[in-house]
Amino acid sequence: MTAGEHRAGRTAGEAIAITGLGAVSGYGAGTAALWKGLASGTSAIGPFSRFEHARFRTQFASEAGEPAATAGPARSSIADRFALAAAREALAQAGLPSQLDDLSCGIYFGSSTGGMFESESYFADLLGEPRRASRIGRLTAQQTCSPGETVARAHGVRGPVQTVASACASATLAMGNALAALRAGDIDVAIAGGSDSLCRLTYAGFNSLRAVDPKACRPFRAEREGMSIGEGAAVLVLESAASASARGARVLGWLVGAGASCDAHHMTAPDPQGAGIARAVEAALADASLSADDIDFVNVHGTGTPHNDAAEANMLRAVFGERLSTLPLTSSKGAIGHYLGAAGAIEAVATMLCFLHGAVHPTPGEGAVDPAMNLDLVIGRPRPVPGARFALSTNLAFGGTNAAIILGSGQT
Amino acid sequence: MRSVSAEVVVTGLGVLGAFGAGRRALLEGLRAGVPRLREVDRGAGFHRPGGARLAALADLSELGNLVPAALSRRMSPPARMAVAAMQLALRDAGLPEGTDHTSTGIVTGTAFGPAWVTEQLLRQILGQGPEQASPALFTESVASASAAQMAMMIRARGPNQTLTQREASDLLALGEAARWIRDGKAGRVLVGIVEESIPILHALLDRFQALARADRFGPERARPFDRHRNGFTAAEGAVVVVLESAAVAEARGAQPICRLLAHGAAFDPSASAHGWGNGAPPLARALRRFLDRNGVTPAGIDLIVSGASGSRLGDRLEALTLSAAWESRPLPPVVAPKGTTGEYGGGFLAAGLLAAAGERPGVTAGFGAVDPELGLAPWTGGELSPPRLTLLTALASGGAAAWTLVARPDRA
Repeated sequence: MTAGEHRAGRTAGEAIAITGLGAVSGYGAGTAALWKGLASGTSAIGPFSRFEHARFRTQFASEAGEPAATAGPARSSIADRFALAAAREALAQAGLPSQLDDLSCGIYFGSSTGGMFESESYFADLLGEPRRASRIGRLTAQQTCSPGETVARAHGVRGPVQTVASACASATLAMGNALAALRAGDIDVAIAGGSDSLCRLTYAGFNSLRAVDPKACRPFRAEREGMSIGEGAAVLVLESAASASARGARVLGWLVGAGASCDAHHMTAPDPQGAGIARAVEAALADASLSADDIDFVNVHGTGTPHNDAAEANMLRAVFGERLSTLPLTSSKGAIGHYLGAAGAIEAVATMLCFLHGAVHPTPGEGAVDPAMNLDLVIGRPRPVPGARFALSTNLAFGGTNAAIILGSGQT
Repeated sequence: MRSVSAEVVVTGLGVLGAFGAGRRALLEGLRAGVPRLREVDRGAGFHRPGGARLAALADLSELGNLVPAALSRRMSPPARMAVAAMQLALRDAGLPEGTDHTSTGIVTGTAFGPAWVTEQLLRQILGQGPEQASPALFTESVASASAAQMAMMIRARGPNQTLTQREASDLLALGEAARWIRDGKAGRVLVGIVEESIPILHALLDRFQALARADRFGPERARPFDRHRNGFTAAEGAVVVVLESAAVAEARGAQPICRLLAHGAAFDPSASAHGWGNGAPPLARALRRFLDRNGVTPAGIDLIVSGASGSRLGDRLEALTLSAAWESRPLPPVVAPKGTTGEYGGGFLAAGLLAAAGERPGVTAGFGAVDPELGLAPWTGGELSPPRLTLLTALASGGAAAWTLVARPDRA
């Protein structure tokens, strides 16, 4: 069954068309740069300059820089401008106008810290000794909902606008909310995605947990030591099949299902057996009326922390059984780091690029794959997956929040 | 398999705020019509002379009876309040300790997240150095910490997410939760709206000129819709709402408090990043579309519970939107509970659900004189039949808007 046939013969939720993709990543602005980087098998993680970090425990991150063409409104944050750049690219690819006020369109975004990077300068003055005067305007874009709202204002969106702030699962959950709203007919088009920038708070925080690898992260490698933090944004234009068809839009792929769960186990450590994320995956499969056998490759959360990767491996074994040893698996975080609240969005775009290029991108990282996991991790170069129809993408977050989506190929 | 359009009922309500614990305490406070305000600690020197001094700070005297100290000490202040409100809500719903919550979902909404924890963490990182960052504080600094702590307390393993969209977070969270039930993704969902008010946040809101101040027209207090309103009163607390499908509630013999009929949302792109828009006509059209889609005419609405807070421009937008949606015909009775509860979504939401359930609301505290530009006079007491259909309306600075239609449980 192709993704298109699945859409036509659905028995559960309607599949939603993906007609535009946009990204800002450690490889630069745009999805072309993202795919070129991902396919190269080289990591975008290394020394960075976003802020002074000599006193931090680690020195690496994946920095996206500031795309020249993304000037946002006054006082917008870097995260806002990342979001604008990704949205502009996605809307252009979808063939939608810049101003969307005539469309039934909503925004579904994920973020973990919004404009925290800019706010830190204000708070450094206010909380420092001695206290220094600081301009309150530097807090204008602080709120976590700012990137999504900035996109809405820039493009004249008049439909629902919401921001999920569930740490590292935010954008995946936001895409699930968009999927539900489109299926319900609340809107015809959704701009779904996420944006986060590097900031001292999260960089120091994850280092305090000893969750950051001093080197570039090494997902699923035997000697992995933690994640690498990254920054950027990604946007997917989602629309009902009827809307895409009426516009004559090219369907790049499909969002066919979403699922979520909670471990209710620990604030930072995942359920070691991966039972929670397994429930989210099973919910996503049910939502899509698919079985695990229909999945052709997986873009896992794959942070590179010992606990996360072990839990995910257990989940994968529980869901896919004996197929696991030959199921192509990748982690975009090995290439671009962890985009926190935007991780699910950039990984969904990366997954769509895998479909569009007919190959699963490799997972950079030093060392041998952990032999205890018996995984088919794609390494070195892209792995051709001709005829691939469906892919799974997963994200796990603080507090045991789990989210999964299933994407379908547009090649019907 | 999805079961579409299950009816959603409210079966429990847990309230913690300035009026103490329990919905009875809130109702008595609303009916008394006098906000319970206290002096904010200005000792840290964040406040400017002549600025706002008061906030509706939560009465936490019951907290120790609701959250065991061994668990409470690991939680952020908003997580503590959310867990306490959850315990009250579960009792109110007749769900005893030991109830199986394996498939229970949780959605929380917050405008500012864990403010105190974030302040302390920033003090460590920016003042003492990044190596001083506390992992315990970092873990609790995420906006979703309350949702996670709630889930861990009762082992709720269904979907879990946190929404943040300023003043519209409350109704957006309620809407997503209801959708999960309608889509068959959870049979029961706990909706937690939580906010904390700390001195630095209070001072910053005052610097943005958002807070009510004493002036020649009266003391420092919010005056929703009043011609001399000059800002809102900061507030804190937590409200947890138990939502269930009508079938689940009926099966266990639960008595619904009210029924959630429909949820709508829109955006006003004329809003600035830190202020209110002036797009009343398009918001009114969106509100009318929402009503039309659900087969409701303005004449069919018996009561409007407004999120108007005393904000000069926010209340103006609300009043003009309602007036345009009703095409200048008389509005049904309007109440704005934030005059009593202060500005936090939980108080508004609880007051709205109770009013929709037929509990006699309080008058709009602080209102004294009609603003000639708005022409809106809130209900001032007197005869008021229990409403069959109530509209809850929450507009947000930054542009978001959300609406909910609520019916009495016995509506035919």
